[in-house]
Amino acid sequence: MAQPAPLAPEVELAYEMPEQVTLLSDAWRRIRRNRLALVGLVIVTVLFIVALISIVWTPYPTWLQAVGPTYEPPSLKHLLGLDQAGRDIFSRIMGGALITIEVGVGSAIIVSLIGIPLGLMAGFYRGAVDTVISFFINIWYGIPDLLVALILVFVLSDALHLIPRGVVVIIIAFSLTRWMDVARLVRGQALSLREREFVEAARMSGARDFSLLLRHIFPNALGPIIVQSTFAIPAAVLFEAFLSFLGLGLPSPTPSWGAMAADGYHGMDFAPHIVLAPTIALSLTLMAFNWVGDGLRDAFDPRMRR
Amino acid sequence: MVNAVDGVSFDIDRGEIVGIVGESGSGKTMTALSLLRLIPEPGRITNGRILYGDKDIAQMTDEEIREFRGNEIAMIFQDPMTSLNPVLKVGFQIEEAMAAHQRFTRQQAKERVVPLVSRVRIPAAKDRVRDFPHQFSGGMRQRAMIAMGVSNEPSLLIADEPTTALDVTVQASIIELIRDLSREMRASVILITHNMALIASLCQRVIVMYAGRIVEEGPTRAIFKNPQHPYTWSLLRSIPRMDERSHDKLISIRGLPPDLGQLPPGCKFHPRCRFRIDRCLTEEPPLAEVDPGQLARCWVLMKNIKDPESIAQK
Repeated sequence: MAQPAPLAPEVELAYEMPEQVTLLSDAWRRIRRNRLALVGLVIVTVLFIVALISIVWTPYPTWLQAVGPTYEPPSLKHLLGLDQAGRDIFSRIMGGALITIEVGVGSAIIVSLIGIPLGLMAGFYRGAVDTVISFFINIWYGIPDLLVALILVFVLSDALHLIPRGVVVIIIAFSLTRWMDVARLVRGQALSLREREFVEAARMSGARDFSLLLRHIFPNALGPIIVQSTFAIPAAVLFEAFLSFLGLGLPSPTPSWGAMAADGYHGMDFAPHIVLAPTIALSLTLMAFNWVGDGLRDAFDPRMRR
Repeated sequence: MVNAVDGVSFDIDRGEIVGIVGESGSGKTMTALSLLRLIPEPGRITNGRILYGDKDIAQMTDEEIREFRGNEIAMIFQDPMTSLNPVLKVGFQIEEAMAAHQRFTRQQAKERVVPLVSRVRIPAAKDRVRDFPHQFSGGMRQRAMIAMGVSNEPSLLIADEPTTALDVTVQASIIELIRDLSREMRASVILITHNMALIASLCQRVIVMYAGRIVEEGPTRAIFKNPQHPYTWSLLRSIPRMDERSHDKLISIRGLPPDLGQLPPGCKFHPRCRFRIDRCLTEEPPLAEVDPGQLARCWVLMKNIKDPESIAQK
């Protein structure tokens, strides 16, 4: 009779653990299959690199006038030509990339910092807290944001001189008028997550409200939060460009793409390159961020998995 | 107002394992949740006392009760699939359960995780604590939940249908684990279930609930051998048993559990009872001692019925 072989405990099992899949690595795997998102990601990366380079080097100083004849069309010496004051447009586009990123990323961060805690509290505590926060969200939605932003910039910078005209005041104006999207999204997430069993289980083991919010509700809502914050970037960029175009954004000679478009507006019929360069850069940036946002949304949403 | 749990009163000694059985909606989970003051809204405790030692849980402040939860009384849930946070590593979640209380420092909590995980018999504990819940099987998740439950060495563990979501072979090992842990830590256990076999294998004492009331209570042996309430008797006779002579037919309890908003007058079980007398229709029986240590809420009692089988089969 054959004796069953005894198990040898010293033998290493030929078993490899499957690679750990985290939220982010899983999302990355899926975003790689999304071509448009990938294109967007490349453009965004280029934008970041250009912005970083512009801090230390641009072909000409962005503010330097009369580096050549005014309205000069693109040439090898000046890749995108010169504007009405004879400034090198290529250099100014590079500088504008930095402004764009500062405004976009800064606004996304501030909007999240306002929206996430408010949304978490509204969704988690419900009742009176939710009523108050939701009331403000709904009221804020009803206010025309550009109008309020215009007034804010005017009051803060021009009338009271509290904050000099610049990136900071634009970020403040944007965040104060557009914090509701993130807040509302997080509120919804918190409302549904607070009923999940693992939250109940954590509560039963004596977890404090703060740790329930921080460890259990917030991390589980992270996917949608990242997506929503990503969409805040192009919104803020457009917002800044629009304000600057109207002359209420960044003061000259700051190389804001919106202000550059406004500068070239009057010479559009004989020197279109002055308007085209910043508008194309702006459009590419907006599309890229939106593609990345869409890609992220698909990547984080389990219902969209293919 | 609906009284989901009404006049339920029982004691649990240190180290004792007590089972609460009953149908869905009989109030067993609500009874357990009120011990932790975690009744879902809009429910609340309107009356009564919950004494833990000499402290009344019903009178505690919010901070006192929070410190109490998980520290003195811990709970194990029915569905281990959804009771663990999907985005946090298992070991970290166990650590967090300890960090919520003062009993251990953060460093101690960290060091206790691996021994705890191996204590609930998860193999390769050292590696497994770094896994996420989705990498665990159902049985392992329930073990991890148990590890979280016992991490603060509570003196009472409430297990709310801890094996319902698991397959039979895993059920047995989970039950064994709960029994061993209770013995090692001298912790009392309240086991909530509708599974009679589970009660028989684990509990020293049984509480049978019906319509938010205790209808019978006593030592497991006595209840299984000589159930006195018709509900208990029918419940036991509704499951096939290997250790008894085969009967003709299993007995079913006709009808549905009553709507708690519209309870019948008299004995709450009488509409479904095959042994009722006139008195049952108007007067609710008290929970009275029928044998030493055994209580039943019935006017009739099964010992007074000759040949209940034939009556029930009709």
